[in-house]
Amino acid sequence: MRITKITTNLPALRRGKTIEVIVDGRRVEAFEGELVSTVLQAENICIFGRKHTTGRPSGIYCGMGVCYECLVTIDGTPNIRACQTFAADQMVIETTGNVKP
Amino acid sequence: MKDNVELVVVGAGPAGLEAAITASQAGMDVVLIDTSPKLGGQYFKQVPESFQSDDRTGNQAKANKLFQRLRSSTVKVFHNTLVWGIFEGSTPGTWCLTLYGPGVPERINARAVILATGAFDRSIPFPGWDLPGVITAGAALTMIKSQRILPGKRVILSGTGPLLLEAAALLIEGGAEVVGVCESAANLIWRGIPYLPAVWGQWGRLREGLGYIKTLAGARVPYRLGSAVTSARGEDRVNEVTMAKLDRNKKPIPQSEVRQAVDTVVIGYNLTPSTELCRQLECELEFDGGRGGFIPRRNERMETSCPGIYAVGDCAGIGGAEMARIEGRIAGYAAAGKLGHMPEQSVLRGISREEPGLRHEQRFAELLGDLFSPPAALYTLAGPDTIICRCEQVTLGQIREAISYGAQSVSDVKNMVRSGMGNCQGRTCGSIVAHILAVQTGRSLEDVRYLNIRPPVHPVPINVVEEHQQGLRNLEQGMARE
Repeated sequence: MRITKITTNLPALRRGKTIEVIVDGRRVEAFEGELVSTVLQAENICIFGRKHTTGRPSGIYCGMGVCYECLVTIDGTPNIRACQTFAADQMVIETTGNVKP
Repeated sequence: MKDNVELVVVGAGPAGLEAAITASQAGMDVVLIDTSPKLGGQYFKQVPESFQSDDRTGNQAKANKLFQRLRSSTVKVFHNTLVWGIFEGSTPGTWCLTLYGPGVPERINARAVILATGAFDRSIPFPGWDLPGVITAGAALTMIKSQRILPGKRVILSGTGPLLLEAAALLIEGGAEVVGVCESAANLIWRGIPYLPAVWGQWGRLREGLGYIKTLAGARVPYRLGSAVTSARGEDRVNEVTMAKLDRNKKPIPQSEVRQAVDTVVIGYNLTPSTELCRQLECELEFDGGRGGFIPRRNERMETSCPGIYAVGDCAGIGGAEMARIEGRIAGYAAAGKLGHMPEQSVLRGISREEPGLRHEQRFAELLGDLFSPPAALYTLAGPDTIICRCEQVTLGQIREAISYGAQSVSDVKNMVRSGMGNCQGRTCGSIVAHILAVQTGRSLEDVRYLNIRPPVHPVPINVVEEHQQGLRNLEQGMARE
């Protein structure tokens, strides 16, 4: 859920221009400056991949590039951290792959 | 691009910015390297380039001043760049840093290196902690502050320390329903009294803290001292947690267990210093539980046991942004002095000017470290099936088995069951495995030590490492010909 409220600690903020990304084959509206993890969250997607050994779901954990739990496939390249990658117009994001590194 | 400089600073947070600015003002040739596209690190995190923010808070003003000073200096900045290893340089007394990033050299040689790599959230595992919807306090803060996205609708927080309060307040402001904050520490007021002198003068921090408490009180959010979330359940996302009161020894009291429906759990047991590069360099470490565990041993000039390698800010012991800035300036003077850009007298003057402020911050860090240390007893929350190493999906049961077969160190456990061998290189599970070992074998954390770190300290494509090896071979052949 994108925050639109303005409060003391959350001053007014305007997102970048509207872009379109493709998430698991579906066209999704997003904004320039948003991270891939933000776009997925706004779409209520919390499972970014599954562990290849156990099949357990994984998603955002540390949010700052440390834990590598939020790996997705971007434009065909697997194992990209969603929390460290900015969304770009026509970017193809796949959440299910989580190919073995 | 030039690949020989006098000083490389790793990390563009408060410590690294001050270090780079101070050294360049003394006339040093400085390169500042950071993994993110913008300056500031986690503490002075900026909103993305394409966002427009109307942030007029005091913190933002402080950050802007620092960014401005950096931009008007001669410091060259490499953004989006990982330092994946530091090696002894080809000429004595130099260091070679191997880099991975767009448009940057593969290697850069420096006569001095200041490490300012910061810290990340400390995790304590409990059943269900690896479910989607369970995130760290740092993640929640980053999402809300710099992306304006709410991590969930119905949230519980568990952990220890002031970061948890800030996360709770921002979640409320952002529109989430916060059902409670479980703070594992108890008797904060009584235990804080001996530290009153340390608090004196920390008005900004106190005001900030009081502001958060007011937000919590306004939303009628219970702040439960001496309690913790002990387990989480859900199919593909967390949907329920159990929380419990903690006894004197910080063990959960079964009769006090309460279940609560939530879609998000925010956990933050204080911070872990990001010491990977120090450990890869085999700098001498010392153990300080209150400052986050193993930290590099330094002299009063912030220099580690490796000559010319300095460590400042949270990566050298948790101390907060203000201490980080002071330490950054001290290392900047020291490096400038070492390389002959500043007479010894000026170095000493610079350092002694910083000393009162540093001592004040150290006292405050001691207070926070003592009041909000993650309780060791909570490491028993995990069950045999709980995943400890997320990357390699290693359970507590497997780790205990490895220990019972004779594993003596975190590295032994890694060799036997692969915990710490995955993508995050043991950043998340390393200290957890150390605690499990300590508990099961009755030894101290100092004794159990920590994971050894070998390059690459971050995952990089294999051809990058291969190219570096080839470069080294060419270099050796070149030297042999000479």
